[in-house]
Amino acid sequence: MELDSLKYAWRTLGAKPAPEKSSEQIRALLQRRSKGPVAKMRRNLVGELLLILVTYTPAILFYFLEFDGRLSGISWLFVLLLVILAVYFYRKNQLLKAMQCAEYNICNSLRQQVVTLKRYIRFYVRTGTAMIPIMAILTWLIIRWKFPPLPGSDLFYRISGSPWWQHPLTWLTLLIPVTAGVYFLNVWYVGRLYGQHIRKLQELLREMEEV
Amino acid sequence: MQPPHTQEEFVKLVQEHRAMLYKVCRLYCFSADDRQDLFQEIVIQLWRSYPGFRGESKFSTWLYRIALNTAISNLRKQRRRPSPLNINELPASLQDMSHPGEEEEQLQQLYAAIDRLSEIEKALVMLYLDDRSYEEMEEILGINQNNLRVKMNRIREKLRKMTKEATYGIR
Repeated sequence: MELDSLKYAWRTLGAKPAPEKSSEQIRALLQRRSKGPVAKMRRNLVGELLLILVTYTPAILFYFLEFDGRLSGISWLFVLLLVILAVYFYRKNQLLKAMQCAEYNICNSLRQQVVTLKRYIRFYVRTGTAMIPIMAILTWLIIRWKFPPLPGSDLFYRISGSPWWQHPLTWLTLLIPVTAGVYFLNVWYVGRLYGQHIRKLQELLREMEEV
Repeated sequence: MQPPHTQEEFVKLVQEHRAMLYKVCRLYCFSADDRQDLFQEIVIQLWRSYPGFRGESKFSTWLYRIALNTAISNLRKQRRRPSPLNINELPASLQDMSHPGEEEEQLQQLYAAIDRLSEIEKALVMLYLDDRSYEEMEEILGINQNNLRVKMNRIREKLRKMTKEATYGIR
């Protein structure tokens, strides 16, 4: 098969009328939602954000209004968490937007997608892991603030001076393996979600760059 | 949301270039449903990028870039995988558009062979058959012209080998 000899046949195919699409059909397509992977990821992000708002808002209101406001610290903890999550979602959305780069030439577009997806994965793993110790420390501080150590306990909160579950060493002992576990869980999860996609993109990029 | 006159202009342009968009869909999808989905995705991406088109490159170059980028990066699971090369198999899109005679047979062979190429090779073959200059191909693909020539030679050889295998049963 000689490619050059097929040019004529190919052009004839192009000259034949392709299946007609009316203006209305094309206009209707413009109203539809993209089914592309990045568009889906962005929609999932909005879904996650809504879910968090729906679950956090009643909790925030509950701790503000109940117990005569004595546990409002917990509400503030949730508010602080919402602020952290807002930054997290904003950053994720920015990265996903950067991945929708159809106007670039194909090589640059693939390169941009690989770089951004790697950055996205790094961000996902780091923030997902960091959230655990941050939350644990904030919760511990609130508990210490609302339930101060018993009189006579020293600076290092000896177990004898306060309940065992308030002791920093107990929290630290639990926190280290839990954080490590969450880290590996996150790595496994993002690998499952995006591993194949990123490998395919890298493979295409390699093919384009090799001589 | 774009102003209505821009939408009219856009719809007209899509209709004018629909043959090219169908070719991309045919090359990258194996079933009619997948082709339909890809066509929709390309139109949505074109519409999204349309405000950014400032005429710095030819409209067709811009169109190829977005259509091929969408087809290549979509990487969705296809509903049906291609079967091994069989020159007697008539691709669905060609059943819709009849081409009597030798040309038809040649195109059948070509489509069947192209189905077995990689995503990047398919893009190269399509641009080559559409008579795009190497300069324009560089602008669309981002591969320098010397490399493009080397790759094209390799693809020609690969296609030749595939057809020989299919015709004479050589493996």
